Amino acid sequence: MFCCTGCASVYDLIASHGLEGFYACDIPAGVSQRNSVTRDGGYAVFDDEVLAARLIEWRREGRARVQFSIPAMHCASCVWLLEQLWRVVPGVERSEVDLLRRQLAVEFNEHQTSLRRIAERLSALGYPPVIDAEHAVGDVPTARRTLYLRIGLAGFAFGNVMLFSIPRYINGGPLEPTFQRLFSTLNLVFAVPVLLYSAAPYFQSAWQAVRARVMTLDVPVALGLTVLFTRSVADITSGRGEGFLDSFSGLVFFLLIGRLFQQKAFEQIAFDRTVRSFLPLSVRVARGDTTVLTPIDRVVVDDELLIRPQEVVPADSVLIDAAGAIDYAFATGESAAVAVGSGQAVAAGGRVIGRTIRLRVVRPVSQSQLVSLWSDPAFTRPKPYWLADVSNRFGWWFTLAALALAVGGAAWWWPDAGRAASVATAVLIIACPCALTLAAPITLGTAMGVLGRAGCYLKHPAVILDLSRVDVVAFDKTGTLTARDAIDEGGSMTPRDRELVSRLAAESVHPVSRALAGRGPVVGLIHDVEEVAGLGLSGEVDGHRVALGSAPFISAETGRPLDADDGRAWAAVDGALAGCIELDERRRPGIEAAVHALNTRLETLLLSGDRSVDARSWAPLFGNRLRFGMAPQDKLAEVQQLQAAGHRVLMVGDGLNDAGALRAASVGVAVSDDTACLVPACDAVIRGDRVVDLPAILAYARRARGVILLCFALSIAYNVVGLSLALTGRLTPLVTAILMPVSSLTVVGLSVGLMRRAYRPRAAA
Amino acid sequence: MTVVVLLIVAGGLVAGGFLCAFAWAVQSGQFDDTATPPLRMLRDDGASESRDKGVSCPLR
Repeated sequence: MFCCTGCASVYDLIASHGLEGFYACDIPAGVSQRNSVTRDGGYAVFDDEVLAARLIEWRREGRARVQFSIPAMHCASCVWLLEQLWRVVPGVERSEVDLLRRQLAVEFNEHQTSLRRIAERLSALGYPPVIDAEHAVGDVPTARRTLYLRIGLAGFAFGNVMLFSIPRYINGGPLEPTFQRLFSTLNLVFAVPVLLYSAAPYFQSAWQAVRARVMTLDVPVALGLTVLFTRSVADITSGRGEGFLDSFSGLVFFLLIGRLFQQKAFEQIAFDRTVRSFLPLSVRVARGDTTVLTPIDRVVVDDELLIRPQEVVPADSVLIDAAGAIDYAFATGESAAVAVGSGQAVAAGGRVIGRTIRLRVVRPVSQSQLVSLWSDPAFTRPKPYWLADVSNRFGWWFTLAALALAVGGAAWWWPDAGRAASVATAVLIIACPCALTLAAPITLGTAMGVLGRAGCYLKHPAVILDLSRVDVVAFDKTGTLTARDAIDEGGSMTPRDRELVSRLAAESVHPVSRALAGRGPVVGLIHDVEEVAGLGLSGEVDGHRVALGSAPFISAETGRPLDADDGRAWAAVDGALAGCIELDERRRPGIEAAVHALNTRLETLLLSGDRSVDARSWAPLFGNRLRFGMAPQDKLAEVQQLQAAGHRVLMVGDGLNDAGALRAASVGVAVSDDTACLVPACDAVIRGDRVVDLPAILAYARRARGVILLCFALSIAYNVVGLSLALTGRLTPLVTAILMPVSSLTVVGLSVGLMRRAYRPRAAA
Repeated sequence: MTVVVLLIVAGGLVAGGFLCAFAWAVQSGQFDDTATPPLRMLRDDGASESRDKGVSCPLR
């Protein structure tokens, strides 16, 4: 049993290379990935120099290093296998995995192998590389490295400045003037690089915000830092005091750590798939008598395309052949194949079924229906997250209040100009929105990590706050509330037949085939696959003739009459009846309890594309809030209508047929039984068996919001104490040096402590 | 007084040395990927004798 097609398909390869260590890893059985039957020639685009230049990091003396983006890698075994690539592909000298970013760096000898060959081998191993136009080589680590350097410098300065400040605090009174001058000067020497380098991002982003006339939380932070630093310099040079440089460097240090937390949480899940990764890389174009593999970007109108079974139509076209069958499950969600005749239109995104067809392109790729569906505003416009909204509004109020208090304080002390200036600056120093800049990222980052380990992957930490405010939950039915499973009735099939049948089933997208496929390894050759729409499919697998389909289809195959057509699927191997397969669509275990739990707090809704045959069985759960026969657009309209009525909608669906509704909803959660196949339009992906945890996830999200609000309250309390001291002119560097780190640390401690162990899924599977 | 200055200089040099070492480590890419190396070290090269069952798949 294997965790992915890669693990499975390389079994022979691994054994023959003496790498059985691969199987030392305890991989759970039965977790299957989407089937990727590799086909020859699909990677010829890697011979394209333009594309190669995008992937190659460096190239010298016949050696080159490339970066592949491989979404399929997901476990320790994948890392191990991909780093042993040199044993499998001659010419590869070294390969290195970055698991978080799903990247593989390969160094190879260009005389012995080529980019295309490596790509083909990777694909054959079950790790098809994805070409993503937005990912340029080499630009990713720099941002992270800079952040680490900024933190390192701030921490270094913080430690040293504390070292020179503590003698003054311990002494109680002023130090000997020579020492005081020496220590203050040294503090200044350490603090200047912090101001110029470590704190630079806050000043840059505040400046951008001011120029764009928007308010972000970085504005009060930058203001506070500026005042803190100038006041300290003024105090030190005038000899009035020792300044606040310890607080200054400590503040920058803590703020940057909060930022690192945020970035780490964000990188946990690499949503590095875009819609383009669903489209084919290249396509066969007929030129005269031959066919040429062409990158899809270069396909033009009137090109004649040859699309083989299971391949996706890259552009809107018309059929040249007499007949063909297309499955539009990706674009529209219809799982039934559509038959098309000669001259009829075929939309991009359709998957060819049955036999190879010839098409004439009528619209280039970029204008095709599929791309326009994805470039719909509902997909491309980034959703305004509630957190961003709140923190911006909060930023306004905070800045205005701090400025008003500073002016008021100065006015109160006015005749005494020195005192007035010192009070005003003290107010601006102590009024720093640490709670929002630290509490939110750390709380949400922790929560995101906890949920990720529990099988619910969020696209952005701020999704949690949107989850906490949801009041309507809309479900899709098939694949969300129910799971499809093909059962081998009576266990009549031999394991060998079963394997042959599932390999044949991988060639088809019929629901029965989908449920059957992906269980066995996909190796060996499959020939002469033919699918007869509505009846079944047949083909030659490993030299055996295998057929899978309805009773009449199998009767014709075996020459033996079967019972009347009862909707079940039958299989035959080499002309003999092998067994019977039934598609069992059953509710996910525990789903009733989960929906009931949701019903107690909020409203639930069922939006299904199916006919209303089993409406009655769902009525106890959803009452009259059942909608059947909904097209993807209807689901989108329903969600938008609810939102127009002031509701915040959580849409839970299987991703592709309700992509519009997922994107439009306040939060869209895609249900996936295969986490390596991500859906671009959603805010979160949840593992199929974890859908029942939704009530727990929502409760956890509400808790996260509560913790953040608690941190706000706490920080306001600290601010009240600090401000009262500042306004009365008693804010000394010592008080600041204690108050600021204490408030930061309590906020961090509360956020992590209250969130880490608080997630309690009801059904521990 | 001289002793204090001496100590400060020495302390600053040591701390600065560590800062430089940190900067070098960051620039040479040691902090780029903190997830993969802990998985990598769990596996032996080539030999298949040691079937350590303790290895699980944390990101499955």
